[in-house]
Amino acid sequence: MKRFTTASLTLSLLVVINLGFVPTAQSQTLAANASSVASTAPVKLALPLKDGSLRFAVIGDTGTGSKKQYQLGEMMVQARRLFPFEFVLMLGDNMYGGESAKDFEKKFSNAYKQLLADKVKFYATLGNHDQVLQTHYQNFNMDGREYYRFKKGNVAFYSLNSNYLDKKQLKWLEDELAKDTSEWKVCFFHHPPYSSAKKHGSDEQLREVVEPIFVRYGVNVVLTGHDHVYEKIKPQKGIYYFVSGAGGKLRTGDVDSRSTLTAKAYDRDLHFMLFEVAGDQMYFQVISRTGETVDSGVMARQKKSDD
Amino acid sequence: MRNHNLGHWPPKGLVTMALVFTCLCIDQSLGNQEPKIVDSPADKQAVQLLVRRVNDYVKHRNQIKEKLPKLSKDSTPEQIQAFKTNFVEALRAARQGAKRGDLFTPQVASYIERTLREEFRGKDRMQLREIVFEAETEGVPMRVNYPYPASAEMAEMPPTLLLKLPQLPKELRYRFVGRNLILVDRESSVIVDFITGALP
Repeated sequence: MKRFTTASLTLSLLVVINLGFVPTAQSQTLAANASSVASTAPVKLALPLKDGSLRFAVIGDTGTGSKKQYQLGEMMVQARRLFPFEFVLMLGDNMYGGESAKDFEKKFSNAYKQLLADKVKFYATLGNHDQVLQTHYQNFNMDGREYYRFKKGNVAFYSLNSNYLDKKQLKWLEDELAKDTSEWKVCFFHHPPYSSAKKHGSDEQLREVVEPIFVRYGVNVVLTGHDHVYEKIKPQKGIYYFVSGAGGKLRTGDVDSRSTLTAKAYDRDLHFMLFEVAGDQMYFQVISRTGETVDSGVMARQKKSDD
Repeated sequence: MRNHNLGHWPPKGLVTMALVFTCLCIDQSLGNQEPKIVDSPADKQAVQLLVRRVNDYVKHRNQIKEKLPKLSKDSTPEQIQAFKTNFVEALRAARQGAKRGDLFTPQVASYIERTLREEFRGKDRMQLREIVFEAETEGVPMRVNYPYPASAEMAEMPPTLLLKLPQLPKELRYRFVGRNLILVDRESSVIVDFITGALP
């Protein structure tokens, strides 16, 4: 089923050489509220805050209702004072265990109470622990759909249901991408096509089906969870991949340090991500529960054939 | 754990690379033999029978659903919980006589088992089993007309697998619970039918 040719390998190598993550300088700082957050480390913003840029956050595998999830939620509030992000992408496993009305409160709305009060919108995707009726939940903005697209500025976002990627969903994805003229195309879903975590690792069956579509239609960035770590993958076939699955659950020491896929990894604490899109640049920063900047950098938009 | 190491150093890794490359070559040669399954008239009949039974089920469950208050796209948790509870209760009550084999008849079960056995060999079978077995599905009852517990994980259904199985309407889903393949109602999570030991 795999098709590895000399040409494709050469192309991949060239892409890896030409694409990359350039670190960004850290600038503004804000002391964390020591009474509510488990650290006194100040948040140092490593994003440029350019005029008119699109700003959003990303969290994955959050829904535990644990104290640490709440602490991370508080850190997001702190970060938003420096970096006023407009919305949050959720990468699945939004609720572990039961899904009663009380669970929605404990595992989601109470943990991000301040963000919701500040009118920050959350856009969710379904993980393997999520029931399908979450798609009707008002705060997940899925409009009853398991897969959907929305656009903000020059960026199109595609939320996929990687639990059940059937023919119908694949056709929808191809049809939407084929007519999409957005400068940036970001796909987010739960299972990672590439991951160096020991627990799950790369989902090769999923990759076999989605990667050719991503390549064909110029998807720029893929955000996934499932593995309870942070990992920035070395660009694969010209696409930037991130695993961000430690927004509520953590698997300490799970990243295989011998993996050749990893550009940067962090598996010592919970984290969330911040993104800023300004023209052809997409900046990112990864912040831990204790306010530490785990990673940051900038990605240049990949050139399309018609650019 | 699934394979993610494309190569290691020192030389021990070279051996791994060679093995992986060999596996890929074997995979590719198997892939060239498609289609592996030639549907016999009996197979086609089995699939048609499944489609008919599935359509009958869907029609029935939609009639039950229509009698319940509609769930809007911006529902509260309380509304979601109430809808789920009511739907499960109404569906179970209306299908009290439902039994194993109603949809997965012996012919259908045989066809699906053979498809899984013949389409997933070698590395593909290994990957499929890894994905299915890593899901925590303890406590899921292998009983028709019982709900899939909300606390249990739903194993991912790899797209490579879904492309091989008869397509289902949006109201129904295939899922694995260990080696058992179940047919589950998408919204109520009630188990509609199952095949034991379907995964090779």
